[in-house]
Amino acid sequence: MISGHDKARFDGKIAWITGSGRGMGKAHALLMAERGADIVVHDVLEVEAAEVADEIRKLGRRVLVAHDNIVSPAAMKALAARIERELGPVDILVNNAGIGDHKAIEEITPEAYQRMFDVHVKGTFFCTQSVVPSMKQRSYGRIVNISSIWGMTGTNTASHYCAAKAAVLGLTKAWAKELAPWKIMVNAVCPGGVITEMPIKVQGWDKIREKEKKVPIGRWAQPEEISYSVAFLASEEGAFITGQAISPNGGETIVGF
Amino acid sequence: MTETTMELAGKVALITGAGDGMGRAHALLMAERGADIAIVDLRGDFAEETGRLVRERGRGTYVAEIDMAEIAAVRRSAGEAAEALGPIDILVNNAGYGQRKLIEEITEEDFDRMYDVHVRGSFFCAQAVIPAMKERRYGKIINISSMWGMNGAPVASHYCSAKTALLGFTKAWAHELAPWNIHVNAVAPGGVRSGGPLKLDDNDVLRAKEAKVPLKRYCQPIEIAYAVAFLASPQADFITGQVLSPNGGEVIVGY
Repeated sequence: MISGHDKARFDGKIAWITGSGRGMGKAHALLMAERGADIVVHDVLEVEAAEVADEIRKLGRRVLVAHDNIVSPAAMKALAARIERELGPVDILVNNAGIGDHKAIEEITPEAYQRMFDVHVKGTFFCTQSVVPSMKQRSYGRIVNISSIWGMTGTNTASHYCAAKAAVLGLTKAWAKELAPWKIMVNAVCPGGVITEMPIKVQGWDKIREKEKKVPIGRWAQPEEISYSVAFLASEEGAFITGQAISPNGGETIVGF
Repeated sequence: MTETTMELAGKVALITGAGDGMGRAHALLMAERGADIAIVDLRGDFAEETGRLVRERGRGTYVAEIDMAEIAAVRRSAGEAAEALGPIDILVNNAGYGQRKLIEEITEEDFDRMYDVHVRGSFFCAQAVIPAMKERRYGKIINISSMWGMNGAPVASHYCSAKTALLGFTKAWAHELAPWNIHVNAVAPGGVRSGGPLKLDDNDVLRAKEAKVPLKRYCQPIEIAYAVAFLASPQADFITGQVLSPNGGEVIVGY
């Protein structure tokens, strides 16, 4: 039966969203909770994570809060086990945790380089590894990797960030193929400019307003405009979509396909 | 209920080739989400039936039997649809057909018809609705391409390249129309158990093809409609110039 909306909902599903203490990750967590999911709020920022958890509880959903180090495969394996024990097995994993670092090649130290790849690539890899066994067992899973328009096109700075986000697209393509036999869909979302705490702090409003003028539709997005794409891919409406990328970017980046 | 409930209320969607298959699925899903629907199709009786199903869902319709290759008919029906239902908010350039021929077998008539329906028809249908979209600074255009437009295939190069041309329109129009808040995206379906493929392939051939898809199946038309309706909704107000390919993992390219 063709029905308007039921397949957009997440009732009874458990979604683990990394980096969900603020910004886009928080928006993903709240939208999925509004649509019925129980949520794992996972962030190193303890105060922010607790606030998001409160909002989710007010929506009537169950929530688990975690601050574990995403760079530690052992910690992620333990966290997946804890989620399964306390909430149930993870149905949806959103690999959202990330950091920005606007640096020229010469300024990128070995430590900055390692941190960038550890958080985005290694973190994404081992969070996923920790949930794949139970997803395979149940022949169900949705993995949404957060890349970036800069992972598609590059930019004139932050090449460690651009390359790490490109690597996330590589994981997306490979996992889509590797995990399809178990009906585990793997897709990416590549945000363009989004108004979150991070760019406001790093770049400031004047710079943001200037950059918005260069976007064909003339603005940056609110965080929830990225969440709509994440939720679509994570829902039953996306059950035939795997290995793809959606880039909500206001027309700033039109490449590929 | 979520905010997706009736998110297309008050909108008017013109869907070409809405007489059956994917086009009908787009029409019914958008109607269920609140839109009135203008249905045009080469086959008048099929179009009428989609119209009946839309009205059954409580929405208004405009129905016309037209050939997308006839520019005058495309312009006329776009105008009539807007008169009947109000200015077009959403255009889905869906009308199309397949034809499995090798290079040597494609006649001039085959070639022209393929491009006239898919490419020229989409162009002039968009041209007909864009002035009112610009005036109101609102519009969603969704071009239906194909995974074969992304990837090619060992047959039907006229079809493949016409579908690629639709990706070209998508990219160009996204740039050209952004200043008027008109969003243009493409959906590039993979295998669909819908009118065209069911006519072109028997069930054994379809099953063999499904076995090669990573997800081991073709989809139902509604699964393409979800992608189209998402791009047509306010949830996609920051998405333009992009392509969404529900293809079961069969084609993973680009970006």
